[in-house]
Amino acid sequence: MDFIPGGELSRRIREGDVSAESELIRQFEPGLRVLLRRRTGGDHGLLQDLVQETLLVVIQRLRGVGIDDPQKLAAFAAQTARNLAIASLRKAERQKTDVDSEATERKPDSSRGVESQVGDHEAALAVRALLRELPQARDRLMLKRFYLEDHDKEQICQEMQLTEAAFNQALSRARRRFRQILEERGFAKRDLLNLGL
Amino acid sequence: MNQQQLIEQYVAGTLAEAEAEAFEVSCLEDVELARQVEFEQRLKAGFEQVARGSTAEFVRSESTLSWRLAAAASVVLFLCAAVYLWQRLPGAHPQVLAALTSTMEQDGPSLRLALVRGAESAPRLPAGEVRVEIVGLFDPGSDYSVMLDRLRQQRETANIATLHGQHPTSPVTLEIMVDSDQLAPGTYSLRVIKQASDEEALDFIFEK
Repeated sequence: MDFIPGGELSRRIREGDVSAESELIRQFEPGLRVLLRRRTGGDHGLLQDLVQETLLVVIQRLRGVGIDDPQKLAAFAAQTARNLAIASLRKAERQKTDVDSEATERKPDSSRGVESQVGDHEAALAVRALLRELPQARDRLMLKRFYLEDHDKEQICQEMQLTEAAFNQALSRARRRFRQILEERGFAKRDLLNLGL
Repeated sequence: MNQQQLIEQYVAGTLAEAEAEAFEVSCLEDVELARQVEFEQRLKAGFEQVARGSTAEFVRSESTLSWRLAAAASVVLFLCAAVYLWQRLPGAHPQVLAALTSTMEQDGPSLRLALVRGAESAPRLPAGEVRVEIVGLFDPGSDYSVMLDRLRQQRETANIATLHGQHPTSPVTLEIMVDSDQLAPGTYSLRVIKQASDEEALDFIFEK
C-alpha cells in the first residue's frame, strides 16, 4: 500500500474520514512499536498500551484542533510517543515507595529486570530454534558476539578471521531465518492483531 | 552509512540522540523499514533472553550424534518412567519436596537448574533444605507438577516424590524446596509438567 503524506491524512481525518484514521494506524503503528520498544525495556504490555495511547492521542488531536504543521505528522506522532513513554516512566517511579528525585530525569533503562523482559517469549523461542538450526559453532559464536556482547563487525571479523562479506552473509541469513520462524508461527501477525483500536 | 548500518546502530543504541530521533520519524514514514527494525530489535532481545538462561546454547558441540543418542536415551528413560509410574502411586516420600513458602528460604542453600545444552556434568545438590530454582518458560496462570525420580542402573527410575499445583514465581522461574538430607547419594531427575496440558515436560538431572 502507498504511503499517504501527513498533510493529506490530517485533512481527511479533520473532515471525518474514518478510513483515513485506519490508514494512519496502518502507517504509524510499526514505527511507533520500534520507537516505544526502545523506551519500554522489553515490557510487552506497556509497549502495547503506549502504542494504542499514542495513536488515540494523535487521532483525537487531528479530529479536533489539528496540528501546526500537518506535513510533519510523523514527527508529531513520534514526539507524542516519546512524551507518553517519559510520562509512563515518571508514573512508575512515583509509585515506588522510596522517593528518588533524580529518577524522573533519567532515560528509560533498556536493561530492566527479568520480569519485564518476558513479554517477548516468542523472540526467545525463535532464537532458540535459530541456534538449533545453525550447523556451525562459528556462526553461533559470531551472533553471540554481535547481539549479546555488542562487539562491532570489524572486531568480530578480525578475531574470527572472517571477511566482512562472509560476516554479512551469515548475519543476513540469520535475520531472514529469524523473521521466517516468527512469521511461520504467527507471532508477528499476532502482534498486529493485538492492536485492537 | 547505509540503511542496514543505521538499523544496527539504532538497535545497538549507538546512534546520537538527534540521529536516533530522525531515524524514528523515518520509521513512521516507512512501514517496511519499521518492520525490519522491529525484527532486529526482537532478534537482539531474543538473544539476551536466551542468554539469561545459559550461554551454553551458543557454544554447544557441533557433533549431532551425541544429541541423537541423548534424545534416544531420554525417550527410553521417559518410557521407563511412565510405565513405572503407571503401576505405582506417586508421593511415597512427599516431604522430600515442598513448595517455597517463605522469603526466609531465599537465604539458605540453593541450586539453579537450567537446560544447558552440551553440559558435561550434572549439577550437585548441596546438603540441607535446598531452594531449587528451575529456569524455563512458564505460564504464570497455570499449575505445574514437579516429579523427583532417582535414576538407577539398567535404565530404572524410582519415583521419590511428586508435588502438584506449583505456581511459577516468575514467567521464567519455578522454585521448590528439596530436602537434600533425605536423599541418598546418586543421580536424580526432576521433571516439570504443566498440568492439564500436552506441553513438553522440562527434564533436569542432578547429582546428590
